[in-house]
Amino acid sequence: MNNETASKETILEIRDLKVNIKTDEGTLTAVRGVNLTIKKGETLGLVGESGCGKSLTSKAILGINDKKCKAEGEIIFDAENLGRVNLLSLNPRGKEIRSVRGKQISMIFQEPMVAFSPMYTIGNQINEATLLHITRDKKKAREISLDVMKKVGIANAEKRYDQYPHEFSGGMLQRALIAMALVCSPRLLIADEPTTALDVTIQAQILELMKSLQKDFGMSILFITHDLGTVARMCDRVAVMYLGRIVESAPAVEIYKNPQHPYTRGLIGSVHKIGTKAQERLFSSEGTVPLALNLPAGCGFYDRCSRRIDGVCNVYDPQLVDIGQEHQIACFACTGCPYGKGGKEEKANE
Amino acid sequence: MALFKKKTVTDESYYLASQWSLMWRKLKKHKLARFSLGLLLILYLSALFADFIAPYGLEEFSSLYKNTAPTRVYWTDEDGHLSRPYVYKLQKINDKKTFKVIVSEDTSEKYYISFFVPGIEYKLFGLIPTDMHLYGLVNEQGEVDRSARINIFGADSTGADIFSRILFGGRVSLTIPFVSAAISFFLGILLGGISGYFGGVVDNVIQRIIEVLSAIPSIPLWMALSAAIPPGISVSAMYLYITIILSFIGWTGLARVVRGKFIALRKEDYVMAARLAGVSDFKIIVKHLVPGFLSYLIVDLTLGIPGSILGETSMSYLGLGMKAPATSWGVLLKETEDLVSVAQCPWKMIPLIFVIITVLAFNFLGDGLRDAADPYK
Amino acid sequence: MSKGDQILDVRNIHMRFNSKGICVRAVTDVSFPVYEGETIGVVGESGCGKTTLGRCIVRAYEPSEGSVMYTTSEGEIIDFLKIDKQTMKKYRKEIQMIFQDPYSSLDPRMTVLDIIKEPLLANFPRMPKAEMERKVMDIAARVGLNTAYLKRYPHAFSGGQRQRIGIARALVLNPRIIVCDEAVSALDVSIQAQVINLLHDLQKEFGLTYLFISHDLSVVEYISDRVGVMYLGKMVEFAPTKNLFEHPMHPYTESLLSAVPVADPTVQNERIPLTGEIPNPANPPSGCHFHTRCRYCTERCSQEVPAYREMEPGHYVACHRAEELKLKGFSYE
Repeated sequence: MNNETASKETILEIRDLKVNIKTDEGTLTAVRGVNLTIKKGETLGLVGESGCGKSLTSKAILGINDKKCKAEGEIIFDAENLGRVNLLSLNPRGKEIRSVRGKQISMIFQEPMVAFSPMYTIGNQINEATLLHITRDKKKAREISLDVMKKVGIANAEKRYDQYPHEFSGGMLQRALIAMALVCSPRLLIADEPTTALDVTIQAQILELMKSLQKDFGMSILFITHDLGTVARMCDRVAVMYLGRIVESAPAVEIYKNPQHPYTRGLIGSVHKIGTKAQERLFSSEGTVPLALNLPAGCGFYDRCSRRIDGVCNVYDPQLVDIGQEHQIACFACTGCPYGKGGKEEKANE
Repeated sequence: MALFKKKTVTDESYYLASQWSLMWRKLKKHKLARFSLGLLLILYLSALFADFIAPYGLEEFSSLYKNTAPTRVYWTDEDGHLSRPYVYKLQKINDKKTFKVIVSEDTSEKYYISFFVPGIEYKLFGLIPTDMHLYGLVNEQGEVDRSARINIFGADSTGADIFSRILFGGRVSLTIPFVSAAISFFLGILLGGISGYFGGVVDNVIQRIIEVLSAIPSIPLWMALSAAIPPGISVSAMYLYITIILSFIGWTGLARVVRGKFIALRKEDYVMAARLAGVSDFKIIVKHLVPGFLSYLIVDLTLGIPGSILGETSMSYLGLGMKAPATSWGVLLKETEDLVSVAQCPWKMIPLIFVIITVLAFNFLGDGLRDAADPYK
Repeated sequence: MSKGDQILDVRNIHMRFNSKGICVRAVTDVSFPVYEGETIGVVGESGCGKTTLGRCIVRAYEPSEGSVMYTTSEGEIIDFLKIDKQTMKKYRKEIQMIFQDPYSSLDPRMTVLDIIKEPLLANFPRMPKAEMERKVMDIAARVGLNTAYLKRYPHAFSGGQRQRIGIARALVLNPRIIVCDEAVSALDVSIQAQVINLLHDLQKEFGLTYLFISHDLSVVEYISDRVGVMYLGKMVEFAPTKNLFEHPMHPYTESLLSAVPVADPTVQNERIPLTGEIPNPANPPSGCHFHTRCRYCTERCSQEVPAYREMEPGHYVACHRAEELKLKGFSYE
């Protein structure tokens, strides 16, 4: 699937995105220059642990970060009506961004229970988007909404349409949420941990549903998660985030078979695979994620890295470098340091 | 995202900070709350030092000054040169044409404003006898002259200085809420705690009592209760009665908060962990539950104080609470009952400003405290 | 891992909650033995009763029926659920618990030192202060906490470190059994691995017995010697880990296994879909609770409650058709 998508045009390109958060103690750069491209029809997995900035990145795309956050950089979206446009340059409350948000880019959240208002029926809430973006005719809107509800596998859609969120189970609510996101046939769907709150069997159902809907609707998906298992199941390409940076990006098969960055390796090694011989110990990177307020110079992973090169990794800031087909990595230990004073291991792992 | 909050502070003192110092840190960042805290401090200090700050005692009034406007203070002499601030004494003049008595300034002698002048005797904190006042008037010879008066906020219908009365009234109006809050606090924790801990029938009975009590409209209740106060009792006894009346209503809300928090905290994992470790019920209550909701209680109390202040003020205003000769802000406001006196002597409304400022300050402080109450979220 | 003597015998535990006239059977007739030094994994989806089961065993809840026979270190056998307060004081400390949420399980108003010390204070009030602190220091160092930080409050620690504090609190009384209720579910994967490794090491060092409750099948498979699968309050299958994952005998286990996301895009395991939703536990289906969603369902399944029986040595299952069905599991290397 990768080769197919590689040639396709990009639908979203993020260039050097930075998100600053104002706190009482000063400004904190939570996203520190992210570069990403999503192609038409592909699923990009954005993987990272809590606090790495993956949710902030996705919210920056829609411009729905809260007031304390300020996004800089470029987010270029291939919009139907506007052509290629930098979303960050649009007025955040203007007409143009509203024609994109919800219609061409929509989002699924982690907690389906809180994404719906308990005061309105499910049908009502799905209709909201339809009425806003597609048609003003209420009857027609109802038909469209019912149609989408059926597509996402909600049985008895007519009856369910008039029910309230508390009458739905978690899995059904997540389906309804997906229906709400898909009702305007978006070009890009951002799914922020859409299955984390669900049980495994329901999780599997939802993932399969998303996959088949992607085929039907031909949309791109930005899939944000911390779960490497779901990524393996869902994504064509994977970008691994650490401390507000992309540290490695590659096709899904490649990243599992041939992970390069020490952080990615640690992440994959720390998950036990059923059916493999139980190792005596799980692989784990020592330490915890450092505080982002006063980051040391150099690579953010330096403190925890098993392959760090003193005098290089704690001095220079690694940038993403191509190391193979669509495989990019930001690590001096793997690619060597272009600034001199490289370590001995420089070429060892090429 | 919990992680980010932690990232903001990295010094060791933060890690070692207990709940209270974390709350203080957060409160300090709330500018309005900090300002209010300062303001309240000034108000309470001036009530404490009322004898000293006020130029006149409660019994000092002069019929000459009845219903007179704030005394005009002159900063320049007749030639227009800057001078030491002075005032003129008032005098009564019989208008020979209309036979009306006119009160006007007697410009023959200047009375200079001076600091730390002797006046009426009093005991500071009820202990140290002295006659020193913060400010007063001296004549051109530098001697204290009690016949001239300076009323910076004007005088009331008896000719007493409103500013002095506000300070003395503050003693009553500012402390009644605290005493009644203390009583509510005790009742609230006790009954709310019993209700939350035992549950079942006890809980039901207490909750119903609370509902009945809070369903009674407060003004008729005050009227009924104040009718029970025997007439002709001393000022301090009156004070006691009113605090009890106020706290009688105040504890119900608090008891509910306590009960709710009790039930919520009882389900926390750390309470179960303590139980599994064999910690006794009593210790769990004292070590985990009470500290857990104490901060919320303080917020609740702070936000409840304006209610008590307004309660005392309106009771006294309606003539149900403090009565002259006792002085409270409500008693002072009683003078503004009719439109005529407000129209002719607008300065009699000044005590109202103090009530409003105090109530607002408590509300802002409570607001800041509420934000700080749970520093872990 | 070598199996020791039987340390716990969980027998016919029932737990019913009554609220507003509705009786919810959270746990129905669950039995299994536990041997010293082993790890029992309990898996199931949310609402299946696994957490309630764990809490019944540590007697945080009082089960409606059943017994937990505990073999004390002196070899005496007592029913942990029926002992009086005095005896309880003696044995409570031998069965401890680690909680899921590292944030709500530590009192934010106490220093870490006080948190770990609390169980000691409650059980050994006469222990000299210096000895108590030395014990706390030892255990804190053992679980990988920096002992210089013990005067700090929990808010100074990350989720993984907090979980270590929770582990230290459970260990300080020298328990023999620890119930881990979703102990690593709230942690990030790399931190999860650290904590799992720690639990592993502690088990070896202190000869601990774990009851590991989790919804994460890969973690359970990694850590457990034997695994029980729960569905709607009942134990539907119980077997040694490898047996269960390789040759599941209950259709629910099969579906559950097929739904596990494997962190390898080349392994696209065929999923056996579960239709429908988990029924309301207040009103469970007749017969086999699973029959409404089972693809092997027959007439009999909807009428008759299947017996929980031993199919192979140590492999228990509650399914009418366990003998005939050949179900799919994971293929082991």
